[in-house]
Amino acid sequence: MTARSATSAPSVPRHLPANKDLWVFVLGDFVIFGSYFVIFMVSRHQERGLFIESQRHLSLNIGVVNTLVLLASSWLVARAVQLTRAGEFERARTMIVGGGLCGLVFMVIKAYEWSAKIAQGHTFPSNNFFMYYYMLTGVHLFHVAIGLVFLGVSYFELRHRRRVGSVETGATYWHMVDLLWVVIFALLYVMR
Amino acid sequence: MTAAVRTTAVWAGLSAITVVSWFLAPAHHAQPVAASTPITLGVLALAVIKTRLIIQEFMEVRTAPLWLRLATDGWLVALFGAIVVSYVW
Repeated sequence: MTARSATSAPSVPRHLPANKDLWVFVLGDFVIFGSYFVIFMVSRHQERGLFIESQRHLSLNIGVVNTLVLLASSWLVARAVQLTRAGEFERARTMIVGGGLCGLVFMVIKAYEWSAKIAQGHTFPSNNFFMYYYMLTGVHLFHVAIGLVFLGVSYFELRHRRRVGSVETGATYWHMVDLLWVVIFALLYVMR
Repeated sequence: MTAAVRTTAVWAGLSAITVVSWFLAPAHHAQPVAASTPITLGVLALAVIKTRLIIQEFMEVRTAPLWLRLATDGWLVALFGAIVVSYVW
């Protein structure tokens, strides 16, 4: 041990998960979704009574279950990255499959929720709240579908080339999908 | 604490916060619900905690280079700052 390392604070090893290009994309998506969220809030400010009344017709239980499903999927995918680093590729693959299945469950529940809302007469043109509801959840659902493709690529990486960076790429994208849903859940379903 | 235990603890915490949010939402009430600044600020505070936990722990930004930590925290401050301002405005 050198005198320098004995006297200075231990430095945390820095690691950029995935790669810089993916993070530029993720930060760009943050800005785009951030703009959607702020525009939603401005509309909500202008029609506060309508938004609170319309919000009561959303299925809160379904919103909570879908949030728990995505959080579970993120946990599975985060564990997959750790198992990949440890060289446990088979267990990592199982975790990725589990995360992907959670994503499919999310999509099925979302489709059921939409069909129930439409059957109740709450459609895209009903009012501004439901316009934002279908727009935000629709754009997010598209990201879930893309995320499943990313997880599929991670799965095949784990079968063949086993590059940690590729698994990190799928995981980072998937966590972004989870994160954006957490904000949508708070704004559309819970806040008053 | 191993990485696996830490990740699992984060997931359990995120799920617990989600269940707490459940009790704050209007759909539990048969009667029309009035706007509530304290409840909304509480909901947004929980959302900040959840999103930052996902970024720091699941996305592993906690151990990422400084530029990424600043960019993600900057986004959270700008986003939730704008949301709070447009709510209380």
